[in-house]
Amino acid sequence: MENIISKKDLVDRIEGLLKDFEIIGPRELPNKGIFYQPIVNAGDLYLGDSFTVEPVKKYFLSPSEYLFKENLEQGAKPVEELPLPGAGRIIIGVRPCEARGLVLLDKIFDAEYKDDFYTSNRKRSVIVGLSCLMPDKTCFCTSMGGSPAENRGMDAILFSAGDGFIVEIITDKGKDIFGALGSDIGKEEKKAWELDKEKRKGALEKRITAPESLDGTFESVYWQKASLACLSCGICTYLCPVCHCFDLVDEERKKLKCYDGCAFVDFTLHASGENPRPTKKERYRQRVFHKFEYFKKNFGENLCVGCGRCIRHCPVKIDIADIVDKAPLTQ
Amino acid sequence: MAEDLKNKARELLRARQVDLVIGYKRASDGIAAAPCFIDIEGDADKLIWDAYCVYNLSVYLKDFRGKKIGIIAKACDVKSIIVLLQENQLKREDLFIIGVECPGVIDEKRLCFSDRQYQEVDRAIKCRPCASAVPLLYDWLLKEKEKMGKVSEDHDKYDSVRKLEAKSLAERLKFWEGEFSRCIRCYACRQVCPMCYCPKCVADQAMPAWFPKATGDKGNFSWNVTRAIHLAGRCIDCGECERACPVGIPLRDINKKIEKDVKELFNYEAGLNAERKPLLSCFDKTDPADFIR
Repeated sequence: MENIISKKDLVDRIEGLLKDFEIIGPRELPNKGIFYQPIVNAGDLYLGDSFTVEPVKKYFLSPSEYLFKENLEQGAKPVEELPLPGAGRIIIGVRPCEARGLVLLDKIFDAEYKDDFYTSNRKRSVIVGLSCLMPDKTCFCTSMGGSPAENRGMDAILFSAGDGFIVEIITDKGKDIFGALGSDIGKEEKKAWELDKEKRKGALEKRITAPESLDGTFESVYWQKASLACLSCGICTYLCPVCHCFDLVDEERKKLKCYDGCAFVDFTLHASGENPRPTKKERYRQRVFHKFEYFKKNFGENLCVGCGRCIRHCPVKIDIADIVDKAPLTQ
Repeated sequence: MAEDLKNKARELLRARQVDLVIGYKRASDGIAAAPCFIDIEGDADKLIWDAYCVYNLSVYLKDFRGKKIGIIAKACDVKSIIVLLQENQLKREDLFIIGVECPGVIDEKRLCFSDRQYQEVDRAIKCRPCASAVPLLYDWLLKEKEKMGKVSEDHDKYDSVRKLEAKSLAERLKFWEGEFSRCIRCYACRQVCPMCYCPKCVADQAMPAWFPKATGDKGNFSWNVTRAIHLAGRCIDCGECERACPVGIPLRDINKKIEKDVKELFNYEAGLNAERKPLLSCFDKTDPADFIR
């Protein structure tokens, strides 16, 4: 179901929804970038062409998830679990690549093993997407099986159209918040919208071919050369919509699940002092292989949605797409 | 100009004067620069030099200890090499400094927010007060043939520090809490810093854990302040931490505040003289002591 609405009607509807829901969406912080934040005034929402620095992942997998607390007081429960989040919330402005990232994360945290925090966060969230009109030069979603106009993992999606938006409602959750808003899309308008979707797909310039398998390249010197410039920081993993490695941390009698990243020197450091990934070569190769080899073997898809964040924000411009594209498969 | 650079790199590699040249190449987007590592003559063709070469390559020197390295360095990068020499992290004889006269690099951050259109005027803020286009130390110098205009503008380099100093303690706390609240603890500020070479960073220690690893007010504040304090008398303001920070924390403002204090208290500026002892490793009877009461 698709409706056409004006920007003002959309903002008014969101303002109305603020009474009953927590609403999260992109906000522009001058000279800092676009950040997902809780929205207090619907007018603060940024629904323009630029992309958020952090992906929406942090609202499903928290950077520091508080799991339980140890109690040493007499008579108290020795382990106090944190209540699971339950209140309904709406996340607006989620890009198609990020939403598809959630679909990929479902394969890990909502499958054979169910992560209670993740699944509760998934259940309580209504995801309103925002189709991309102007992809960044680092975007390559179409090479990863996605598209700036796809709606996987969303409850509704917005397409900017003139002064307003076309709202495509995908699920009942989406219907509950956006149903009966605006006017039905006409035949001509629908035709134009279909053309617009094709145009959006074609706007992406960066294209790569991810190989079927990287298996034969494991020992190649290529990985050593490709990783020479890597600084071993956490930008690429923390800003990735699908990287999900974590570390368990004890702090002030709390057990926390914190983000961790394979680029860090101590990511696989053992208590004995041994580190099976002692150099950047092993660590960077792991990042690439997890995304384009191991995950694909297990789940049939690349663990990459082509959002371009790791390329855009890498302090030394390491381009994972370029590196995968040029991997020496013939070796 | 870049041709001279390529020829020099070829010459150094051919003569086995160096094992590796660390320089700049064009990034995959065809516009920006990226660090590159040349170990055979044939690859020297990749080398470039222009205003996109923002990186301070001296951060890579610790990766190649024991090797003879040729490194392309701007005036600010050379200052960090000087500090590394002062702190015995490098051997001068292992290093061939290919100095480049620098008219200032572009402002990547501002480029990001201006629809990515490069304009000649978009020089990084850190470059504005820089008086020395010519590195203080080099073995060979690539001269800018074209007149690039005056680099140093009439610009108070402590302008933003003074503005912060004018705020009350409570206002300052609120300001920095707000800025640090966005910190994602990716440690890019540490990893990109040539001065951050501790084999085991205080932030990575687990026993004892000196401050929370979890994101949050406490841990974020502790990390960012610890990082800055550790650079007292050592930071040469290459600005790489601020450039690398994905969430836009004005890290240079903290660094500059400490730089200003060090200058006022000890009349010391980092990165000027490789022969001089590092500020924090020496004691002088004239050092101010009025904080002892």
